[in-house]
Amino acid sequence: MPEFDALILENKPIAPGIYSLMFAIQERVAVRCGQFCMVGVPGFPLKRPLAVCKAEEERITVCYQVRGAGTRALAEEHSAGERISVTLPLGNGFCLKPEEKRIALVGGGVGVFPLIAALREFQNQKQLFSYMGFRNREAVCLSHELECGEKLVLCTDDGSCGVRGTAVQAFLADIDDVRPDAVLACGPTPMLRALKRATEGRDIPVYVSLEERMACGIGACLVCVCDKKDGIHARVCRDGPVFRLDEIEL
Amino acid sequence: MADLHVNICGVELKNPVIPASGTFGFGREFDEIYDISCLGAVATKGLTLEPRLGNPTPRIAESRGVILNAVGLQNPGVKHFIEHDLAWLRGKTKVIANVAGATLSDYGEICARLDGLVDLVELNISCPNVKCGGMAFGIRPQDVKEVTHVSKTALKKTPLIVKLSPNAESIAENARAAEAGGADGLSLINTLTGLAIDIERRRPILANNTGGVSGAGVKPIAVRMVYEASHAVGIPVIGMGGITCAEDAVEFLMAGAVAVQVGTQNFTDALACPKIIAGLGKWCEVAHALHGVERVRDLTGTLTMN
Repeated sequence: MPEFDALILENKPIAPGIYSLMFAIQERVAVRCGQFCMVGVPGFPLKRPLAVCKAEEERITVCYQVRGAGTRALAEEHSAGERISVTLPLGNGFCLKPEEKRIALVGGGVGVFPLIAALREFQNQKQLFSYMGFRNREAVCLSHELECGEKLVLCTDDGSCGVRGTAVQAFLADIDDVRPDAVLACGPTPMLRALKRATEGRDIPVYVSLEERMACGIGACLVCVCDKKDGIHARVCRDGPVFRLDEIEL
Repeated sequence: MADLHVNICGVELKNPVIPASGTFGFGREFDEIYDISCLGAVATKGLTLEPRLGNPTPRIAESRGVILNAVGLQNPGVKHFIEHDLAWLRGKTKVIANVAGATLSDYGEICARLDGLVDLVELNISCPNVKCGGMAFGIRPQDVKEVTHVSKTALKKTPLIVKLSPNAESIAENARAAEAGGADGLSLINTLTGLAIDIERRRPILANNTGGVSGAGVKPIAVRMVYEASHAVGIPVIGMGGITCAEDAVEFLMAGAVAVQVGTQNFTDALACPKIIAGLGKWCEVAHALHGVERVRDLTGTLTMN
């Protein structure tokens, strides 16, 4: 997991409060979908853990939501031509077994970004069925990136774009037709809880990518733990961020 | 090349730069980024007698120039450390085992387990004393002296460093209390207690409510305390608190420290420690040309107050 002095190529808004950051690193690094990077914001002690959305040779794209002072500074004060410190690739990423061929992807809000990486990685190997939820029409972003695979259902909470309702509701309506061998998911905790209820007793492995506040990002500081069913604290940055949904407590 | 060797309590370090406890695990993860054998020593994650799961999340928050953490001493326990990590880490560099307890007997027992196995023991006395209403061991001088004495009695071979809390009535008094209790050295400062609020939710960001404040913003407080502590005692002092670069480390050395620890900056820049080591070498070379500084250890305590 090298440290890079990355060159910002682009840092632009793609929806209200959501930005796409593309940067170049000095070498080609193999990045698996679901892996993330720690992005330094000049003047802030902690780097921000951001899921990789696209990895194209030396060019890496991450998307982020402005949540606090650090992400606001990243969005408003830094642009193409500047350099930022980045550590990548980090975490385990999404791994599918060869026999898992029909894959449902369920994403909500900023949780769709790591799933874009999964769509890109698996599009020629698997049958992909996507259920992507946003708050409303204005929040929908990168929909052209989502349009690959067998099916895409876009959902909005208010019905202003696509289907009215949540991604989990749309997925559940389709589950018996699609008969997925596995589910990849990322989104807010209430969404993941709903997904857990929806898939309980169905014997479908659900791989979720978790979000947590981090400090080191490499597994040393034990800041970003999640509870596992076996009573052990797993490190989201190192043992995850992707876990089987039935192995963790939400 | 400047001579960066320092000696702390009879233990020779190849340079004075040590990653601080809790920011570096047992070194394995950072060793994937750089070879940690370049470090003067490693201060381990705080160890307790039994494994601990620590606090709920969120465990980390950020404010301008500082962070707050409330990890709650999650660690696999001293036995696991000795069996799984110690030999590997000793093969890399000198090992400072940071230890914590909830009772005096915890401290005695954990020190006895580590005696002779590690290069130095560093006592975390910022933990609440469960038999004393939860007040931390590190606040009152009489408690500092007692916990130091119990730990020192259990250590027949390994020198004892007491890590002082800045949340104290008097840092000089507590430094003298640790020395009187038998400490071979001191390290300071541990984190300051702070509170960060999520104003949308009107709730603390940390699940634990309060957390330990560290990072660049605490450095002037830490330098002042290192000066006061090192001038109150005759034992060596390891300085820490907000070090981000070689020049920050030089400040601590001049204030009276023999070596320094680097904590939060490991998060900002995973390569912080090797950069500071290289920077210290360069700084000494320039200072040698200007002022005849040949050895980094000659910087200790060279501050002249106005």
